[in-house]
Amino acid sequence: MIDFEHVSKTYETHNDENVALEDINIHIDEGEFVFILGHSGAGKSTFLKLIQMEEKPTEGRVLINGQDLTKIKRRKVPYLRRQMGVVFQDFRLIPTMTVYENVAFAMRVTNISTKKIKARVPFALSLVGLEDKMDRLPDELSGGEQQRVAVARALAHGPKIIIADEPTGNIDPEMSLDIMQLFEAINKVNITVVVVTHEHELVNKLAAKYNNRVITLADGMVASDTAHPEVARRYAAKVAARSHDGYDDE
Amino acid sequence: MRFSSFTYLVGQGLHNLRANRLMTFASMGVLTVCMLLIGAAYLLGVNIDAMVEYIGDQNETVVYMNLDATEDQIAAADSAIRSTAHVVGVTYVSPQEVLSIYSDMLADYIDLESAFSSDNPFYPNYRVVVDSPDNIPTVKQQLEQIDGVYRVNAPLDLSNIFVSLQRTISYACYAVVGVLAIVSIVVINNTIKITVFNRRKEIGIMKLVGATNGFIRFPFFVEGVTSGLISAAIASGVVCGAYYALCRWYAENPTTLSQMFGGQLVPLTEVWYYIVGGFALLGFVLCGIGTATSIRKHLNV
Ligand SMILES: Nc1ncnc2c1ncn2[C@@H]1O[C@H](COP(=O)(O)OP(=O)(O)OP(=O)(O)O)[C@@H](O)[C@H]1O
Ligand SMILES: [Mg+2]
Repeated sequence: MIDFEHVSKTYETHNDENVALEDINIHIDEGEFVFILGHSGAGKSTFLKLIQMEEKPTEGRVLINGQDLTKIKRRKVPYLRRQMGVVFQDFRLIPTMTVYENVAFAMRVTNISTKKIKARVPFALSLVGLEDKMDRLPDELSGGEQQRVAVARALAHGPKIIIADEPTGNIDPEMSLDIMQLFEAINKVNITVVVVTHEHELVNKLAAKYNNRVITLADGMVASDTAHPEVARRYAAKVAARSHDGYDDE
Repeated sequence: MRFSSFTYLVGQGLHNLRANRLMTFASMGVLTVCMLLIGAAYLLGVNIDAMVEYIGDQNETVVYMNLDATEDQIAAADSAIRSTAHVVGVTYVSPQEVLSIYSDMLADYIDLESAFSSDNPFYPNYRVVVDSPDNIPTVKQQLEQIDGVYRVNAPLDLSNIFVSLQRTISYACYAVVGVLAIVSIVVINNTIKITVFNRRKEIGIMKLVGATNGFIRFPFFVEGVTSGLISAAIASGVVCGAYYALCRWYAENPTTLSQMFGGQLVPLTEVWYYIVGGFALLGFVLCGIGTATSIRKHLNV
């Protein structure tokens, strides 16, 4: 379903180059639930941005359902994005629209009928416990509430892939568990879920219970992948080779 | 697109129009003024055309026959004139008729009829009407060739002046319309550009949740075109109202000059649909172009 083949991403800044991802090879199957862990700046958000075509890889290619995202026609991009539900790290709610409209808009874009929208928006919002705040503007909500609106929006149009960047970053532990379990439930109906988080303990607990895959990124590389235990060995070798070449700090 | 999406997007466009009313108001003002000027240029052109045509209809080319022309020659000239191209009307005026016209005019002073009863000094002549002032020079030349013709008097100068005046004015009108059309496009383009710029973040989010460019562009299009149509409605009202008043004033205050041109302007009933239709089309097309060219940049997310 999602394939990264020798993917590297280097950001050009005004005075320098910033390597965010380096030779990433990952295959995620349809229906998988994957946690992405890693320190701040490890390249987690970049990894997700490549999937949703917000950024383009500098090298290698990303494929979704066998379709090469570097070669896809611009016209087709919206239709591919509609198959995904994305929870952005910075929420990205439309400030001029109410909570209801924000969720409804993502559905309207995908050509869902008004009747269905009217039924599904309140349902999606009730899943994240916000059914009583539908008419507020995003600015009138707390950070955690905004994040939950973003979660509701990502789910509402029935996507095939859910991509969430720190979906519980601003939410208290109890609610975090609820949201994660919501994702687990969605995953049960064969929807692929990729969740970036830094909450190790929560991941350890859930991954053990639901048998989820955990990929750890470090300095733009895959440091470990529970689906492929040998990648940790490969990563260690790579880092060792680097330090011999004098590239590394140590 | 679903019908519900269509109505939603139209609604969004109208909503934005209200939300940006200050800027919309400014661009609509400019657009309305442009249309008023275009309307004035158009009406000026229409009236000059009508006047030139009127003058053309009034102008008679006079063909004087020789004093000693025989009845046969006069009859032959009659058919020769009628068969000349571009001639649309021919009236014969005999020396006797000319005499009686003048003696009527001077009846109080002198008895012309009896003074010239045996020796009429007036030339028999034909009053010829030519279809268009443009054709008078050629017709004049042809008439001079006819047997028994003494002289041809054509109102060439006056019609020449009017034809060239008409040309100049219509070129000036085209130029005005062209310049104002470009101004309108630029103004609308900028208005929408500012709106798009203010909402670039929103547009980026819309694209990331899978909106097509068309879906994002449509409300802007509705916004632009609606303000164009509102401007058209205002301009139509003002132009038609003002022109109606002008027509009445013109007819009620005749002058020698206005009498010369027929004493009335082209009535509103003959031009209002061109004005309303033209403005609506102009508003639609100009704003359509202005909008279409302004959104592209921020859609490449
Ligand atoms: N737009 C950008 N321009 C330049 N450099 C960038 C840009 N976005 C990210 N980077 C850099 O790329 C690297 C990876 O960033 P990324 O956002 O993927 O990290 P992350 O793992 O999501 O971190 P966090 O947990 O803090 O969100 C960082 O070093 C960051 O500084
Ligand atoms: Mg991040």
